[in-house]
Amino acid sequence: MSDTTHQASSRGKWFVAGPPLAYLIVFFAIPTLLMVVASLRVPGEFGGLAPLQTESGGLNLSLKSYGRFFESLIYLQLFAKSFVYALVTTAICLAMAYPLAWLIARSAKKYRDLMLLLVILPFWSNFLIRVYAWMIILGPEWALGRAINALLGLVGIAPVTLMFSPLAVIIVLVYVHLPFMVLPLYANLEKHDPALLDAARDLGAHAWQRFRHVTWPLSLPGVFAGSALVFIPAFGIFAVPDLVGGTDGIMIGNVIKQQFLESRDWPFGSVLSIVLTVTALAVTGLAALAARPRRSAT
Amino acid sequence: MTAQTLRALFTVVFCAVLVGGCGKKEEPAPVKKAEAEKPAETKPTGTLNLYNWNNYLAPETIARFEKQFDAKIVQTYFSDNEEMLAKLAAGATGYDVIVPTSNALEVLIKKGDLQPLDLAKLPNLTNMKPELMNTPFDPGNKFSVPYAYSTTVIGFNDKRMKAAGLDPRGFEVLFDPAVACKIKGHITVLDSPDEVFSAAFIYLGIDPNTTSNDDYKRAAEMIKKAKSCWAAFNSSSYIKELSTGNIWLALGYSVDFFQANQDAAAAKQDFKILSVIPSQGAVLSVDNMVIHKSAPNPALAHAFINFMLEGQNAAELSNLIGSGNANAAAMQYIKPEVKANVSVFPDAEAMKKLRQLRLLPAEQRQERGRLWTEIKVR
Amino acid sequence: MNRIVPGWVWGSAAAVYLFLYLPLIVVVVFSFNDSKLNAEWVGFTTAWYAKLFRNDEMLVAARNSLLIALVASVIATVLGTMAGFALHRYQMRVLPVLVVAPIAIPEILMGVALLMFFVMLNLTLGLVSITLSHIAFCIGYVALVVRARLAGMDESLVEAARDCGATPSEAFRYVTLPLILPGVIAGSLMAFTLSIDDFVITFFTAGAQASTLPLQIYSMVKIAVTPEVNAISTLLLLLTLLLITVAARIAPGLLRMND
Repeated sequence: MSDTTHQASSRGKWFVAGPPLAYLIVFFAIPTLLMVVASLRVPGEFGGLAPLQTESGGLNLSLKSYGRFFESLIYLQLFAKSFVYALVTTAICLAMAYPLAWLIARSAKKYRDLMLLLVILPFWSNFLIRVYAWMIILGPEWALGRAINALLGLVGIAPVTLMFSPLAVIIVLVYVHLPFMVLPLYANLEKHDPALLDAARDLGAHAWQRFRHVTWPLSLPGVFAGSALVFIPAFGIFAVPDLVGGTDGIMIGNVIKQQFLESRDWPFGSVLSIVLTVTALAVTGLAALAARPRRSAT
Repeated sequence: MTAQTLRALFTVVFCAVLVGGCGKKEEPAPVKKAEAEKPAETKPTGTLNLYNWNNYLAPETIARFEKQFDAKIVQTYFSDNEEMLAKLAAGATGYDVIVPTSNALEVLIKKGDLQPLDLAKLPNLTNMKPELMNTPFDPGNKFSVPYAYSTTVIGFNDKRMKAAGLDPRGFEVLFDPAVACKIKGHITVLDSPDEVFSAAFIYLGIDPNTTSNDDYKRAAEMIKKAKSCWAAFNSSSYIKELSTGNIWLALGYSVDFFQANQDAAAAKQDFKILSVIPSQGAVLSVDNMVIHKSAPNPALAHAFINFMLEGQNAAELSNLIGSGNANAAAMQYIKPEVKANVSVFPDAEAMKKLRQLRLLPAEQRQERGRLWTEIKVR
Repeated sequence: MNRIVPGWVWGSAAAVYLFLYLPLIVVVVFSFNDSKLNAEWVGFTTAWYAKLFRNDEMLVAARNSLLIALVASVIATVLGTMAGFALHRYQMRVLPVLVVAPIAIPEILMGVALLMFFVMLNLTLGLVSITLSHIAFCIGYVALVVRARLAGMDESLVEAARDCGATPSEAFRYVTLPLILPGVIAGSLMAFTLSIDDFVITFFTAGAQASTLPLQIYSMVKIAVTPEVNAISTLLLLLTLLLITVAARIAPGLLRMND
């Protein structure tokens, strides 16, 4: 590559990457750094953070908050539990979203926009009101609860409440995150060349083989994007377990919220947040490696 | 830009942040301090920024105030003291009057976030009930004036209690598994370590303001055992759940049960939601009006507080939501059915058993936080 | 070309739509419920809509939410598309982390951090501070979707354009951009959704006089989330639908999510 093209591509790189990078550094990286530093600080006597400088002029820092993480196994337990919940949510979302995204991608042009809009439309109403709607639907008075309990009654199992349970948490988690799986999947699937599938059919592959060897590998970037956009937020969410979780329905997000509110222990809240973020990023990074479409010689 | 330069840049930024974190304690200077020095004839006016609980100021009162002072009230809401405290701790300003509960009030005073009240501007203070003034939270009422209060009590569905043969007038119905599990899955408690631990302490006969780690462990053990009979920790939708009949018993606020009962009646349910102060005692939550130290409009803030100390204005809130009233002059304006509610206006006997929560020291707070997490996980 | 879609795909898609709309139907239906609670059907009334129109606070909050969401999603889409492009095309070390991290970081931490940061800068809290915060966490969503879209794109088209003499920016404008437009639109839809419904970060970065719809609604949680909230949700939905339909009529190319 000649010198000018190298410079041009370098200029191009910063032209494109510069603005988002700058924005994120100012409005994300710096505030986050404030809180990373906060994890090393001492909690204020009445909440917030203690002043950074002690009377003697030294820096008021301590690793105590990191130590607290290991004080009790519950934090690790909660991380594991949240991880599982997020994973289950992602898997269910993927299973539900894939056929839908595929259908929209394969539909006639005039319907695609509408179908996509219809997917996201419910989510422009308020989150709380939608969860309340689920509380009504899952409540004991409604058809769903009655039907399930009737079935259980036949088998001789005591009636269960769907509300305030892990099941309710998963259902609502899936509901809340579904469009974030549909949209990326659609964006990727839409670009698949139907000719590839036709060629595969002509070569004798039946539906499952066509899916497994053509559609699925090509859709992996979309699967990854969608999974990331579901798993990561679901991992740290607190609102859903708060509203519909039972007495032991909390996730790690709830504990983090608690540190900033009732416990007034911001440094420890930062520590938990750092562990959460690093874990989420690590999992995403690993998944990115695994999801890289295998480029065979074309 | 090479990777080295980028790394250097980050190091510089990191250090700047570290240093910047030291000097940031000063708040932006209050803009309208001059207004407080204006001559007494100038009537306070302008905009009042009120940081309050939602539905905690009757619309009629707002209208009357705005008309009388040719002013505008802009309300911002919080639904939890801790949210308000966290926001203020991070440095938010712009609020004139804030309505914290007493233990949050203690925090604000100790942090120095409030400006002293100019008692000359509050002639209506004489209307207040003396037993709620001059508390240990704010001796001499230097910074605050009581606004309204509510008690944390047991609310229940009267029909279901009769059917189960339960007497909900004591905390055993919450904390004794032998009793509570008779209505398993139909009990909620507030999602608040303050309230649940206090209720547990009161049941165990311990002072809710204890700072002993052993007491906390004891209470936590008991709560864990009782938890299996409960449906959820819920501070937000338990009114709804009670009114629809999904939940039959709850630890909650007297104002909420007052509302739940109204809602149940409006929905033509065949039961009533009643509430009682448990025999062992209960927590009293008094909400107060304070003025933030960097209030943009302290003159109007004082005018508002004085306005709310008038009997009629103070009474409107009680009539609206069934809150207890700290204003003696307001009693004549309060509806009889509200006055008759013993968990809102307890008799002298019950008043003695009510406790206000004090600020818990940081060490115990964090320990309690850990216990609370354990309770919710195991 | 064979475009037959298997029956079970139709079935499952329909089921998913039902799943998505069941709560929404409940929301809309209950906006006519003659009961303060959002729990049981009591009777029909339009009183809540009437009450809503007299509720200045709620209407202002709704207007603010829409405004913030529009501005934030547009800016986030632009920045996010650039970021997605950069992630796909160039080997960046810091940008991938900065793009994904806002999605991972707990909202409450970010809210507190942004508030502290704004206070440090002496920035007056208000609609602007909220919008700035929203953009920060929306960029990542757009970037990831655009990148996924680019990953499936045929690079040879761009090369062909360059061979024909197009400059990099022309190649981007006339070849790449139209091809990734579905991804960009998908990303912007997500950004809009995230912004209009955000509570935690907005709570911390809102000023004394700036209120958004989620802030209003969540503060009602302790008292009663009355059907007024259902009413405004329904109206907001209709309004946004209307806006998009109108935009689609006026500028059909603008909203083309497919080729």
